[in-house]
Amino acid sequence: MSLKVYLVDDHQLFLSGVRTELEAEFRIVGTAHDVDTAISEIRGLNPDVVLVDVHMPDGGGVAVVEGVTEVAPDVKFLALSVSDSAEDVIAMIRAGARGYVTKTIDAEGLADAVRRVSAGDAVFSPRLAGFVLDAFAGAIPSDEDPELDQLTSREKDVLRLIARGFAYKQVARKLEISIKTVETHVSSVLRKLQLSNRHELARWASKRRIV
Amino acid sequence: MVAGVAGGIADSLGVPDGYVRAAFLTLATVWGLGVVLYAVLWIVRLDRVEDREPATIEPNQQLGLAFGFLGLMTLMAVLGWWPNPALVLTAGGLAFGTAALTDASKPGPLAALLDPNVETASRIRLVVGAGLLIAGLTMFGSTVGEVFEVGIVFTAVALTGLGIFIALGPWVRRLLSDLGEERAERARQEERAEMAAHLHDSVLQTLALIQRSGDPARMAILARHQESELRDWLYGSSPLDGADLTSTALKSAAARVEEAHQVPIEVVTVGDHPFGGPSTALVGAASEAMVNAAKHSGADQVSLYFEAEPAELVVYVTDQGRGFDTSAEQFQGKGIDNSIKSRIERAGGTVEIVSEPGEGTEVVLKVPKETDK
Repeated sequence: MSLKVYLVDDHQLFLSGVRTELEAEFRIVGTAHDVDTAISEIRGLNPDVVLVDVHMPDGGGVAVVEGVTEVAPDVKFLALSVSDSAEDVIAMIRAGARGYVTKTIDAEGLADAVRRVSAGDAVFSPRLAGFVLDAFAGAIPSDEDPELDQLTSREKDVLRLIARGFAYKQVARKLEISIKTVETHVSSVLRKLQLSNRHELARWASKRRIV
Repeated sequence: MVAGVAGGIADSLGVPDGYVRAAFLTLATVWGLGVVLYAVLWIVRLDRVEDREPATIEPNQQLGLAFGFLGLMTLMAVLGWWPNPALVLTAGGLAFGTAALTDASKPGPLAALLDPNVETASRIRLVVGAGLLIAGLTMFGSTVGEVFEVGIVFTAVALTGLGIFIALGPWVRRLLSDLGEERAERARQEERAEMAAHLHDSVLQTLALIQRSGDPARMAILARHQESELRDWLYGSSPLDGADLTSTALKSAAARVEEAHQVPIEVVTVGDHPFGGPSTALVGAASEAMVNAAKHSGADQVSLYFEAEPAELVVYVTDQGRGFDTSAEQFQGKGIDNSIKSRIERAGGTVEIVSEPGEGTEVVLKVPKETDK
């Protein structure tokens, strides 16, 4: 059975473009142009993956993720945006999105990202991997939970390779580990990013603040 | 004017401030009643509240208020409470006359008198106001003239000047504030023109190029290029002027290669370092590596990754193209030796090329950061 996918984007043109790209492989169970419709419909339809735009009126993608996760924590979100500003990326990931890709991604890459997210993995674009490395670059451990906040050197290796443009498969081969292990590392980085409350992250995001 | 009491009352009654002030001033001449009243009201804090909605009352209610005040004054006069009738009348005439003439919500008095659109009531109020003012000034003038024995002509001239100033004051003020608005509007227009000029030079040009271009790859490059340029313009510094950071220098180098060779280059940077010294060599070598990847690899995308590590600066130029045998002869002919290796080695760094036929190519460039000399 093909995966149930729901699309949220306030740009009609983009929405129908993505729909056409994904229809061959996935079952598009619905689309919405605004935050409120999206939240109420997704709660009822219970799709596997929601592709959500970051910038929309009334709270944007973050509001959709938070509004749905409250009621249906199993729905997985992939953020899709023209903006890859650090602040947007971090806000979406912290709200609970399991991946972040920019709208310039090709159809194949997008389909791959949807599959990956539905399988419970995280999707990191090269740019996102770079952001995370940058954010965690300061070696100062946090007061509350130093273990949780640090990236292990293996996780950093994985992120560096992703940032260098390698696919997960190639990362696995370069590090002589299995793809599953690569996925585990990336998911654990995602969790750290979502749970992290270290000051550097906030300061770093605000330093790169993009209004 | 002093504590905003008059303004506060004016707001709650819905009458112009000037009239309330005039009433206080007139009452002040009756044994200082106005001053006492003002002070009491100040203490009970009936002063102006910024965001309170001014009350609006019917014109006949306003008229009622006016008659009430007049009645009160007359009653006090009848009871003989006026200490000095001339003073009360002078002050009242001056104060209310000024209030009528300077009512800021109406256009300038001269304009109002001549403007056919102005309602009769306003015109009557202007005439009465002017009359009261002149009467008040005359009484005041004669008293002052007697007391100080200054020439009546001098007093008259001074008072006329004052009268004109009071009468034309609001109009002059409005003219000045109009000028301010005009200046602000002009600034807005200049800003808009600047933005239009920028969009014209960049976005519109690119859109025109895209429309004329039949080649999808070329269109994609143009769109990509424009996107990153517009993003930089909207959200911060333009990377193309004054690249004083290594990351910005690398980004503009990548943009140039992308433009010249029509292959998208994905740039990711982590950390940063001032541009100059060893990083100049790094950027130059990275450009060369990007050109090689764009020209020879056949890959549809090239990645550039830069990281500022504690002791050194590292650049990876990666492609998923055809790759080559690093020990083969033709490898020597690609300008790698001269333009990449020698440059980096002069800067005290190292070059590593990882490639195999069919496996893509990765060029790793490392230079030490400048040490404190």
